[in-house]
Amino acid sequence: MAAEQIIRAKGLRKRFGRRTALDGLDLAVTQGQLYGLAGPNGAGKTTLIRTLCGLLRPDEGEAYLLGWRMPSARVLSQLGYMPQDYAVYDDLSVLQNLEFFGELYDLRRKQVRERANELLELVELTDRKTQRVGTLSGGMRRRVSLAISLLHKPRLAFLDEPTAGVDPKLRRTFWDYFNRLAEQDVTLVVTTHLVDEALRCHVVGFLNAGRLLTQGTPDEILAETGTSNLDDAFIALQERREGGR
Amino acid sequence: MKSFAVMRNVLRRIVRDVRTLALIVILPLFFVLLYGNSFSGSYKDLTIVIVNEDNGLASVRTAEVGRITLAVDLAAKFVAALDPQMFNVVMSDDPDAAAASVGESGVWAAFVFPKSFSNALVNEAVRAGGERKIDFDGNTVTLLPGEPVDGPKTTLMLDDGNPLVAAAIHGALETAFSQMLATQQSSLTAAGLLDVRALYEGKIRILDFTAPGVIGFAMTLITVLLTAMSVVRERTSGTLTRVLIAPISAWEVTAGYTMAFSLIAIFQAAELFLGSTLLFDIRFVGSPVLVALVIVLFTIGLQGIATLISTLAKNEAQAMQFVLFLLIPSIMISGVFWPIETMPATIRPLSYLSPLTYANSALRKVMLAGRGIGDIRFELAVLGAFALVMLLLSVLSMRRQAYTA
Repeated sequence: MAAEQIIRAKGLRKRFGRRTALDGLDLAVTQGQLYGLAGPNGAGKTTLIRTLCGLLRPDEGEAYLLGWRMPSARVLSQLGYMPQDYAVYDDLSVLQNLEFFGELYDLRRKQVRERANELLELVELTDRKTQRVGTLSGGMRRRVSLAISLLHKPRLAFLDEPTAGVDPKLRRTFWDYFNRLAEQDVTLVVTTHLVDEALRCHVVGFLNAGRLLTQGTPDEILAETGTSNLDDAFIALQERREGGR
Repeated sequence: MKSFAVMRNVLRRIVRDVRTLALIVILPLFFVLLYGNSFSGSYKDLTIVIVNEDNGLASVRTAEVGRITLAVDLAAKFVAALDPQMFNVVMSDDPDAAAASVGESGVWAAFVFPKSFSNALVNEAVRAGGERKIDFDGNTVTLLPGEPVDGPKTTLMLDDGNPLVAAAIHGALETAFSQMLATQQSSLTAAGLLDVRALYEGKIRILDFTAPGVIGFAMTLITVLLTAMSVVRERTSGTLTRVLIAPISAWEVTAGYTMAFSLIAIFQAAELFLGSTLLFDIRFVGSPVLVALVIVLFTIGLQGIATLISTLAKNEAQAMQFVLFLLIPSIMISGVFWPIETMPATIRPLSYLSPLTYANSALRKVMLAGRGIGDIRFELAVLGAFALVMLLLSVLSMRRQAYTA
C-alpha cells in the first residue's frame, strides 16, 4: 500500500532578480515521513518551504499540500509553520503567545492550557511560562516559536532551522520528539544547515543552488557516496556535481 | 579620529538606501513649496452674497430748478469697486434668503443695501457739507441741504465662525465704504453706515476656531504613527506571516487591528476634548456622540493610510518618514489655521483630498455651531467612504505584507 502523498511539488522555479533560488525542483513527501532538508546557507531551503506553504508564488511549477494546490486557505488549519526568524510577540509572556495562536487555531482555552503544558515541558520552558518573551535568550525564543508551531497538532509541519542556537542536549530531545510525531503519522519537513543532524530523518534531501543534489534515506546516501558521514557525503556530492559541469 | 569612520559609516548606510535618500532630498523642498503656496497671507475667493435693493437715485432740492433726481448708483459703484481677487460676489434679490445662507456652503457674509441707499447717502452728504454747486444737464445748480433722511444703514450679516476671515471681510468692506464716502465728500463714517450682525456674536476666539483642526491633527499624528509602527513591527518580527498562515483571513486580521486602534483613538480623543474644554475652555456646544462618530470614521481611514505606509516602508524609520511626508502637509492644506479659500486654486484640490479637511469641517460645525447630523452628512459621507476604501486597501496590503515579508 502506497502511503498518501502529503507534499507534491513539480518543477518549482523561483527567481529573485538575477538570483535563482529554486531551479526546477521536484519533491514528494509521504505521510508520517520525517523529511530532512539539508544544505548550505543560501541553498534555497527557506524559499522552498515558503513556496510550499503558499507564502511565495513560484515563477513556474506547482505545489500540492494534502492534495490542495497551493496557495490555499483550506490546508491552513492542518499546517504548522515555524519560520526562521523568531516570530513571537516580545511584549507578551510565553503563555500569552501560545494562547493567542491557540485562539487563531480555534482551540478552546482548556485545550490550549493542556497543549501549552505539554509543549513547554518539551522545550523546557515550564518555569518561564509567565515571563515576557522579550527577556528570553535567542535559543529560548526559538523554543517558544517551536511550541507555537506545534500547538494545534498539525498534520503537516514545516520547521525552518528549529535547532539553530539550541543546546546539543535539547537538540537531541527535539529530534526524539520529531521522530515520535512521525510515528503518530505527522509529516514533518525540517531544515538544517548542520548536515549531520539529518541522520535522524527518514529521508534526506540535499539542496544546493536551488536543486536537489540527491534524496534518499541516510543509509542510501552514505552507500551512494561511499562515505561514513553525511557531511562528507554532501561535500562529495557537491564536488561531483561541480566536476560534472 | 575614529569619529570619521562612524560618520562615513552612517552616511554610507543612508546613501545605500534609495528610499531614505529620496525622502531626505525631497522632504524639505516639498515642505517649502507647500508652505509658500498654501499660505499666501491674503484671502481669495471669499463668497459673499450682496442684495442690492438700492434704486440708485438721489432726490435733492436745488436753489435754481427745485427738486431734481440724480442717478448716482452708489451701491452698484460700491459693488463694482470690491476687490475681485478677494471676493466672489453673488448677487441676490432676497434679503432673508441671503441672511440665512451665511455660514452655509461657503458663504461668509451677506450684505444688504436698503432701497434708498443712494438717496440717503447723497442727502446726508449735502446736509453735512452745506450748499454746494454741481453740474446738472449742462447748468450749474446749487444743492440745498434737506431734512435728515432715515436709515441709510446697510446690514452686514457675518459668519464669524472664523474670526480671522470675519475680521478681513469686515475690514475690506469698511475700506471700500470709506473710499466711496470720500468721493461724496461726506462726513459720514463707514462704521456708522454698517450694521454688523455676527453669526456667533463674536464669541468664537481664534483658539476655539483652531481647536477642532488641531485636535484632528493630533488624532492623525497619533493614530497613523501608532498603526504604522505596529504593522511594520508585526511584519519585520515575522509574527504577521505567522498570523496569516493560521486559519484567519486578512479581513479578520484587519478588522481586529481596526477595532483595537479605534478604541485607542476614542480614548485619546476623549482625552483631547476633555483637556481642551476643561483647561482652555474651548467652545463645545454640540453633541459629543456626533463628535465620536466623526472621530471613529476619520481614524479608521487613517489606520488604512498607516497600513499602506507600512507596506511601502522597509522599517520603522522609513515608516516615520512617510508619515511626516503625509502629515505635515495635511495640517497646512486642511483649513486648520487659514481657510482653504486663502490658498491658490492650484493647491486647493489637494485640500479636498485630505480627510482632515472634512474632519475639521465637521468638528467645527458640531463643536462651534452645535450643528446636528443633517448639517454634517456630506462630511460624514466623505469620511465614511474614505474609511471603507482604506479598509479594503488595508486588507490587500496585509495579505501582501505577509506574503512578501
